[in-house]
Amino acid sequence: MSEHGEGISRRGLLNRISLGAATVTVAAATSGNALAAVAKDSQVHYAMVLDTRRCIGCHACSVACKTEFAVPLGATRSWVEYVEKGTYPNVSRHFLPRLCNHCRNPQCVNVCPTGATFKRSEDGIVVVDKEICIGCKYCIQACPYDVRFIHPDTGAADKCDFCLHRVSRGVAPSCVNTCQGKARIFGDMNDPTSEVAQMIATNPVTVLRQGMGTRPSVFYIAADHSDPRETRIPNQYVRVDTHRRIQERR
Amino acid sequence: MELHWGLPVIIYLFLAGLGAGALTVSGSVLLRGGGGWFAGQHFRIARYGALLAPLPLIVGTGMIVFELGTFRAGIEQFDIAKLFRWINLFKTINLSPMNIGSWVLGLCILFSLAYAWTFLTPTACAKDDQCKVRRVMAWIAVPLGIAVAIYTGIMLGAMPSRPFWNSQILAMLFLFSALSTGVAGILCMHAICHCEENQELRAQAGYILSVSDALLIGLELLIIFLFIMFAHLTIGDPAHAIAVILPGGVLVWWFWIGVVLFGMLVPGLVELRYTLPKLLHHNPYRVLRSVEIAIGVLVLAGGFLLRYVIVVAGQITGPVGM
Repeated sequence: MSEHGEGISRRGLLNRISLGAATVTVAAATSGNALAAVAKDSQVHYAMVLDTRRCIGCHACSVACKTEFAVPLGATRSWVEYVEKGTYPNVSRHFLPRLCNHCRNPQCVNVCPTGATFKRSEDGIVVVDKEICIGCKYCIQACPYDVRFIHPDTGAADKCDFCLHRVSRGVAPSCVNTCQGKARIFGDMNDPTSEVAQMIATNPVTVLRQGMGTRPSVFYIAADHSDPRETRIPNQYVRVDTHRRIQERR
Repeated sequence: MELHWGLPVIIYLFLAGLGAGALTVSGSVLLRGGGGWFAGQHFRIARYGALLAPLPLIVGTGMIVFELGTFRAGIEQFDIAKLFRWINLFKTINLSPMNIGSWVLGLCILFSLAYAWTFLTPTACAKDDQCKVRRVMAWIAVPLGIAVAIYTGIMLGAMPSRPFWNSQILAMLFLFSALSTGVAGILCMHAICHCEENQELRAQAGYILSVSDALLIGLELLIIFLFIMFAHLTIGDPAHAIAVILPGGVLVWWFWIGVVLFGMLVPGLVELRYTLPKLLHHNPYRVLRSVEIAIGVLVLAGGFLLRYVIVVAGQITGPVGM
């Protein structure tokens, strides 16, 4: 029994008032965060459109990327897959350039135990801080696009970062700069006047592995999504050359 | 197909499960009946579990460090900063299953050492001056052991990109496997040490361990059945992934012969062979020490192979379609 009897004590009343004030403060802060998140989402959000109709499978993008970052032998930040299907004479070959999808809901960020992988709030690029990353490979397991690898020099996870060092200076990513067929379009998808936003708005675009729920920022036009393990058409021959050390898609 | 997580991770998952299981079983035995008659009679089981738990937890955690990319780079380049980069795990707290697991695992190692310390004196018994401390610690040991056993399943199961692992029931499979290997580890220690003067009491302890293990193996088999059926009866990624342990799959023999037959069915049936007469007809429980040791070794080998199959199967399968 309280020394103040059965009613609400003065201390209890003060506690309740302070609790109420704290609740209101937290609620205000939370709504403020929500508004800030909306505002952030309306800021720059870099995206890439890959118009596979214009890709000739020359691997210039892969080479440019290798050169830009001195990517070690056996590892790839950016690569081009050849998708072959059909039976002679009804055959086709399509090219599927691959890179980090810089997802809006990146699974790699969700699982990173140290916070080394994060999505930049200012432009939506997913990056890895190699000074924080411990190389646990959890992100490699979690990425549905198999775009990550352990860099042998740093021992940390590595992947495409949309050439952040170039983009931050207003220069296009190396793969975009070098693309011979102008198949790669890069820019701010939140800016309706940008080429990338217009391409996304005026073309039937797709993303890779949409069912994973990652909401990629890399969009494809006329991509062939055929996979040897899942032939969409019965009795259809499908072969994929990954042009990586890992010769099978994961 | 490249395996990013290899033998160190498999050994870690096995040893962490064994240590966590032994800790949980030890705490459970000590608390059974509020630390009364049962705990008094079977104090040695609790003691074996408590003394067994820290070593596999520490060695297993040490193994996982060898899988870290920065640790390997640190060894190759003689770079101290990279060798100790893993400390970054404890510089932050986030909702990553690996981060939460690291904190829980670190806590569990420290706790298991402190818990084992209370059992360390040769004169330790159920009614000594440490008994109150032990009971309080046992209340913490049980949930902490379960947390370590479960988190590994959650860590693997949290990834849609790995359909073999992406099952809600995987954590339960890891939990029961951890408890089963924990009991098997204690059973082995019990048979090897053989320091019980009272033969009847010794037989009673062996009987309790064997019955518990048989029950846990039964639950494991049930969970494996559900794990396979849920995946096999659906379409798409899970059905494609589970095919690696079904007829025609590359891991079919490892799983069905190694894990299920020799790791579960054989030891489970042998345990039932010796425990059912006592359970049904109250006949005396008699079993050779060598049989007890063989049962324990088979269960431990099965637990290791289970981790091997799951870790490998998860990495050689992925989402189908692009």
